[in-house]
Amino acid sequence: MAFLNLSLRNNNGLGSCVKQIVGVADMKVSNNIKESIITYSLGSCIGLVIYDPVVKVGGILHYMLPESSIDKDKAAARPYMFADSGIPRLFKTAYKLGAVKQRMIIYAAGGAEILDQKGFFNIGKRNYMALKKMFFKNNVMINKQDVGGNKNRTVRIEIASGDIYVKTSGAKEVKI
Amino acid sequence: MTTIQKLIKEIENLKPIPAIANQVLAVVDNPDSSMEDIANVIQYDPAITANILRTCNSVYFGLKNPAESIKTAVNMLGIDQVVELVLLKSGTKALSGGSKGYGLEEGDMWRYSVSSAVIAKQLAVKFNLENKNTIFTSALIKDIGKIVLQTHVFDSYHKIQDLVDNKKYSFREAEKKVIGIDHAELGAMIAKMWKFSPKMVNIIRHHHLSDESMIKDREIAVVYLADCICMMMGNGVGLDGLSYRFKAQVVEELGLSADDIVMIIAEFGMNMKQVEELLHMV
Repeated sequence: MAFLNLSLRNNNGLGSCVKQIVGVADMKVSNNIKESIITYSLGSCIGLVIYDPVVKVGGILHYMLPESSIDKDKAAARPYMFADSGIPRLFKTAYKLGAVKQRMIIYAAGGAEILDQKGFFNIGKRNYMALKKMFFKNNVMINKQDVGGNKNRTVRIEIASGDIYVKTSGAKEVKI
Repeated sequence: MTTIQKLIKEIENLKPIPAIANQVLAVVDNPDSSMEDIANVIQYDPAITANILRTCNSVYFGLKNPAESIKTAVNMLGIDQVVELVLLKSGTKALSGGSKGYGLEEGDMWRYSVSSAVIAKQLAVKFNLENKNTIFTSALIKDIGKIVLQTHVFDSYHKIQDLVDNKKYSFREAEKKVIGIDHAELGAMIAKMWKFSPKMVNIIRHHHLSDESMIKDREIAVVYLADCICMMMGNGVGLDGLSYRFKAQVVEELGLSADDIVMIIAEFGMNMKQVEELLHMV
């Protein structure tokens, strides 16, 4: 806890740290070391965080659903809504800022589920499986994750340090 | 004083939802009412009228000539939009605060409520249900019970969370077990004391389908499903998280497939901007 307090003090000390907010079905990538990127309230959605420590490029994608094939028009209008149309865009945007796939640190949070969902409502699990499938095909490993369960989560990354924080409602933010 | 008596005392101290909401609902979901009837009800409430006109004349709507009466506002924006604004504005004060007991920051409950209301109306349109505005308003205020119950949830948090984490209780079931009443029952008591229609009281009472036989009521089924979807989307969800039960009968009852559910969520994804705009407007 002492460590957490210390890190919070450091954040406050930065003063000029700008929070970039990633909405639902949205994505942000940054190489600005004065910024942190945050996405709030992941339920069954997944917050995918990537970071290349060498060039200090990081990003978060907040997607809602696994596959865009359900509605191509919606996927064209809101590509970040789906795993299969959002994830490639997240990586490609980071590559444009000099990030390299092999150096990328990857964190996934969310994919929570309602109780007794019996297959109809297992969107959280399907969102996570879509991520795993895509990463397996492309030889990408998740470094850490906080996925599943019944809690909703807020995730934040600091671009300067690559430190990632997760918070569940009613609890304090913790560094992972 | 028993817990229930204490809770009733607390309800009396709540900021009530203005009577205008009830009056508007009474005319708007009546197929025999005209636009003029609805405008008449609204314009007798000067505070809401001023508020609606201010919103209608905001940059958001981009009207060429400012609306100077509810009737012109209705003509310019359409009755649905004006009614929705009245209902939203009625709920703002009661629902916009935070709630420590449920781990909600200021504005969280309001964001969740507006999202639920938008999804519920989307579903009501999909299933061609009458009483769309009653459904919208019920979804909007269904968690009003949390505002009163939250101090009790805060005091008993560890007991409640223990039942959820270790004894397979849903959060609502744990509230009922530990406090003796859950937020849906309490919400219905509040709605009754505020003289909302028996239909709305019933929807609020059953919005978690604690009594599964209520699933036959399509208005309840729709508000329930909207709540489940909203919970999954996480927008404004508190420490109770997704710890509520999904009753699969609801999809059978409404004739939905797993793909339909995904489509409804995708549709809501497209409407997220509308929710954000409503939140900024009201």
